[in-house]
Amino acid sequence: MRQFFPVEDLARDERFVQTNMAERMKDGRTAIDVKESSAKSRGASKRLTPERHDASDAARGLMHGIMVGEIQALEGAGRTAHDFAAGDGTNDTVPFELKLDMARQAWDEARHVEISAKLSDWMGTELGEFAENTVLFEAACSNDPILRLAGVNRALEGLAIDVFTQMKEFGDVAGDPFLEFCEDWMLADEVTHVKMGSDWLRKVTANDPDRRTKALEFQQVVDKLFSFGGARGESPESSFSLAKRFRELAGFTDDEVETISQMDAEALEERKEAVRKYRERVGADV
Amino acid sequence: MAKVTVSPEEFTFVKYDAAVIAAIVAELAEQLEIANPIRVVVDETTPLAKVYEEIEAASSDATITLHAESGALEDRKHPMSFSATGAREALGRVLLRAHDRMRADFADAPADLELTLEENAAWDTYCAGRLERMGVETNQQRWRYNHRNRFGFHDRVDVAFDALWAADDLGWSDVVALARG
Repeated sequence: MRQFFPVEDLARDERFVQTNMAERMKDGRTAIDVKESSAKSRGASKRLTPERHDASDAARGLMHGIMVGEIQALEGAGRTAHDFAAGDGTNDTVPFELKLDMARQAWDEARHVEISAKLSDWMGTELGEFAENTVLFEAACSNDPILRLAGVNRALEGLAIDVFTQMKEFGDVAGDPFLEFCEDWMLADEVTHVKMGSDWLRKVTANDPDRRTKALEFQQVVDKLFSFGGARGESPESSFSLAKRFRELAGFTDDEVETISQMDAEALEERKEAVRKYRERVGADV
Repeated sequence: MAKVTVSPEEFTFVKYDAAVIAAIVAELAEQLEIANPIRVVVDETTPLAKVYEEIEAASSDATITLHAESGALEDRKHPMSFSATGAREALGRVLLRAHDRMRADFADAPADLELTLEENAAWDTYCAGRLERMGVETNQQRWRYNHRNRFGFHDRVDVAFDALWAADDLGWSDVVALARG
């Protein structure tokens, strides 16, 4: 069986259309307020709550993003379980117990795909209705298994914690019993997956500080990408927030949580600046 | 036949064609036997998807204005590209509202931007059901979920949804009463 599967070769049927971050960032439209002086705008609060006029459609879009994210997480965990030989963690080997954890995660993710597909059906969404951003799997394409743990288990699954927390709250407030229940159970799994990543990253790099530093730097790069231009953050202009408490349970230190929070804020400002420049270039009302 | 104009005439942020949008609206207006002049205003600077309508007066020569954020007309599989199916559904829904407003028994319906979230959802359900019977592609489950989000996840809400979906020839007070069960 092939090792190190490139993102272009992911198996999808004709219902799915894939895109990537470069394509998404070409979109000069934004729902965030790029006018600094504007006190009230359509983007004054983008938080996904039932009070939004487009609440059900916004939730459907996010749910579809979760479903394709689960497919990619399944593929990422599966690849990590397969791509590296069992060993002591040096020379591109991974401890056998780490492979077992990745296999368990793949099992969990497969269940999450099924749950998410059924939730999408419940919410009136067709599979493949929205474009699939492949950025999540791209974080799982490193040749170093420790970078994969940093990118997938800590950054990607960390993002899943944030999104599931938001969706669980949405289901709770809206009174949707299935959404609230399913998100709660999946959230518990995601906290476990992040904890696996945190624990293995520390164990395998215990005697290799340079490798640990490199992995944590890679995680920061991925975390910033996963902020999706400030879609995650504490600002009311962000759709969902950083689930700090669950991240702590998953092994993130206070400093790490604070760093991610700052990166989210930076990503939002950078996105605003990029949109401002684009609008100036095309002569639109900034 | 309704005279339809679209603003902007040229799109910068999205790959939309004003002539295609005008043709879709003209076709919908013909189906609904609306002869009023129609103005379509697309906000292409946002990917959000709100649509709403305004009508100058409840008469057959009053101008109808359909407002759409660009996401309402977008092909979700291909961001920034146009979806004729999505446009028919979104613009058809608000054109039906304008059609309703020309009836005397809709005189007390609040303006679109003043509707409560519940009123908005009830009217959307009533419009989407009729659109489906006109042959416009709609996803009933999507609207059922929207309706449940506003009225609750209960069997009696589903019964009210089914009644609104199947209804024709309602007045505004009927729409509100049916939705409330």
